[in-house]
Amino acid sequence: MIHLVQACINGLLTGALYAVIGMGLALIFGVMRIVNFAHGAFLMTGMYATYVLFDKFKINPYLGFLPAGILLFAFGYLVYRLLIQPIRDKSDFMQILMTTGISLILVDSAQLAFGADYRQTSIALVNSVFRFGPFTANAAAVLSFVIAAFFIVGLQVFVARSRTGHALRAIAQNREVAPLMGINVTRIQGLSFALGIAFAGIAGGLLLPALYLFPSVGEDYTLKAFVIVVLGGMGSIEGAAVGGLALGVAESITSLYLGNQWALAIDFVLFLLMLSLKPSGIFGRQRA
Amino acid sequence: MRFKTVTVFLAVFVAMLLVASCSKQAGGDTTRIGVITSVTGSLAAFGEAHKNGYLIALDEINAQGGVLGKKVELDFYDDQSKPDQAVQGVSKLVDQDHVPVLLGSYSSESTKAILPSVTQRQVPLIIPTATADNVMESKSPWIFRICAGAGDYAKSTIAFLKDSGAPKTMAIVYENTNFGQSNMKAMNAAAKAAGINVVAVESYEAKSPDYKAVLQRVKQANPEVIYFASYLLDAGTLMRQAQEVDLNPKYYTSAGTGFAAAEFPTPKGAGKNAEYTFSVSQWLPDAKWQGSKEFDSEYFKRYKSHPAYHAIQAYESLHAAAHAINDAKSLDSAKIRDAIRNLNLSSTPFGPVKFDANGQNQHEVLITQVQAGKYTVVYPPEVAAGKPIIPAPRWNQR
Repeated sequence: MIHLVQACINGLLTGALYAVIGMGLALIFGVMRIVNFAHGAFLMTGMYATYVLFDKFKINPYLGFLPAGILLFAFGYLVYRLLIQPIRDKSDFMQILMTTGISLILVDSAQLAFGADYRQTSIALVNSVFRFGPFTANAAAVLSFVIAAFFIVGLQVFVARSRTGHALRAIAQNREVAPLMGINVTRIQGLSFALGIAFAGIAGGLLLPALYLFPSVGEDYTLKAFVIVVLGGMGSIEGAAVGGLALGVAESITSLYLGNQWALAIDFVLFLLMLSLKPSGIFGRQRA
Repeated sequence: MRFKTVTVFLAVFVAMLLVASCSKQAGGDTTRIGVITSVTGSLAAFGEAHKNGYLIALDEINAQGGVLGKKVELDFYDDQSKPDQAVQGVSKLVDQDHVPVLLGSYSSESTKAILPSVTQRQVPLIIPTATADNVMESKSPWIFRICAGAGDYAKSTIAFLKDSGAPKTMAIVYENTNFGQSNMKAMNAAAKAAGINVVAVESYEAKSPDYKAVLQRVKQANPEVIYFASYLLDAGTLMRQAQEVDLNPKYYTSAGTGFAAAEFPTPKGAGKNAEYTFSVSQWLPDAKWQGSKEFDSEYFKRYKSHPAYHAIQAYESLHAAAHAINDAKSLDSAKIRDAIRNLNLSSTPFGPVKFDANGQNQHEVLITQVQAGKYTVVYPPEVAAGKPIIPAPRWNQR
C-alpha cells in the first residue's frame, strides 16, 4: 500500500509536466485542427534553450525555463506565419508532412549544433529529497510540479475568462462563423500556435534537470502528447491536463507492478483502449 | 524548365561523388587502420577513453617506425552510440577507405550489429570492449575479442561473493540492450548454479533517467546483493536514486562498464554515492602487468585523468593489429587475420594476449571496490590491494 501511494506521488509529479505538454498540443489541435507532429521537437528546442542559459550564463533551469518559453513563443509565432498559415486550409496530409518536416529539421539542427552527446545539468536540488513518514518526494520534482500547476491553472483561466480566450474557443467551435463575429482568425491562430509551442518549451525547460538531453529526446514526448490528448478528449484543454496526470500515474504504477519495460507500453495500451472504447476521451466531449 | 533543374541537380550530385572519391585516394605512404567508436552520443565518455587509448598506441607504434615501414594513420568513424551508424561505419571504412583491419565498436549493441557486414566483407575485426557473450557466438573466423566477457564477469563476481560472506539472495538490474541482457543472462545462470536465490530481475531503458520504480521493486524483494549491468549515466543516476529510495543491500555489485568508468566515483558520475560499490574490472593502473604504470602516467600526462580499463583495451587492440600486420608482412586482410590468430604477446600492459580457436583472448577479471573515491582491487586475494568493506553502510549512516 505504501508503495502504491509512493508510485502515485511519483506519477503525479511527472504527470504535471505531461499535462503542460498535452495542453500545448490540445490548444493547437483545438483551435487549428492541426496535429502537431513537431511537438516533441519543440520541447527539445526548449530544453536546449534552457540548457544553453544554464551552461553559458549559469541560470538555474527553474528560472531559465521562462526566457526559453518566451523564446519558443516567438519562434512558434514565426513558424506559424511562415510555414503553417500557408497550408492551414490544405489537406490533413499536407499538415502531417509539414509538421513532420519541421520536426526533422529541428532535430537535425540540434544534432549539428550540439552533436549527439547526452548532456546532464547537475543542480544541487535534484539530489535533495523531502521525506514525510514513509514517503519521499524529490525536491526538484516538487518544484517543477508547483511551476507546472501554475501554468496549467493559468492557461485554463486564460481560455475561460479572457477576451482572447473567448475568441480562441469561438474558433475552436466554428471556424467559419468566428470571423463573421469580428474575430481575426489569423491572429488568434498564430497566438494559439505560439502559446502551444511555448508550453512545449516550458515543459522542456522544467524536464531538463530530470532528463538527459540529446537531439532526439523529444520523440517519445510527441507520442506521449498524442496519448494525453486522446485520453482527455481531442482538443479539450482541461481534458489534456487530467490526461497528463492520469498518464503519469499510469506509467508509475505500471513500472511498480509490471516493471519499467512496460511503462512505455502502457502509453499505447491506453491509447488504443481509449480510441476503441471511448474515442471522445475521459470527459466525453468532442471539442474544446 | 523542370527537366533542366533535374539535369543540373544530377550534374552537381555526380560532381560531388567524384570529389568525394578522389579525396580518399591520397595518402599512399601511410597505412590506415579503421576504428569505429562512440565519439558522441550517450556513450561518448567511453568513446573518448577509447580514442585516448588508441592515440597513445598510435604514437608508440609510429615512434617505432610504424608498420611495414610506413606510418600508421587512424581512420575514425563516430557511431554516435547507435548500432545502425556503426554498420554505416563498416561500409565507409572498408568499401570507401579500404582499411585492411577494423577495431571497434564500443558497445555490445553496436558491435553485435556490425558482425555480419564485417564477416561479409572479409576484414578482420578486433573487439576491444564489448562484453556481451553473443558477439563471440557468430563463430566467424574474422572476429577477435581482447576483453573478457559477461560469463567471466558473472563467474568472478560469484567467486568473490562465495569467499566474502556467501550471501543467499540477489537482484539483477540491467539496462535493456545487448550488454545488459547478456550480463543479466550470464549472472542469472551463474547465481543459480551457485545456489544463490535470484529474487528480482529488473530491466530499465537507459535513456529515461527515472529508475525509482525499478529500485522500489528491488527494495520490496529485499535482496542481500544487487548486481547492476549499466552504462555511465545510468550508473550515476541509479546510485543517486538508490539513496533517495533508501535501498540498502549488503553488497552493491556490478558488471563493470559504468560502475568501473574513471568518471563514476567523481561528481561527473555518482560522486559520493559511488562509495562501497563493487565492480568487476579488467585492468587498473596498479595492475601487476609490465607497462601498466607507464600507460597510466602517459595517459595522465596527456589527458589529466587516470584511465579505466576501456582505454587500455583500445590501446592494446591497436597494438595487436599493428603486430599482426608486421607479422603478416602484408596489408592483405586474410593474411592479417591469420597473423592475429597466431599472435602470442606474452607481456603487454594489459597482460598476455593470445586468441583461442574462437578468437577470444583469455583475460583475468578482478573485483574492485570504490573506497574513499578510488577503485581498490579487493579480489582475488593474491592481487588484492585492500580488504572489501562489507556490508555497505545504510544510507542514513553514511
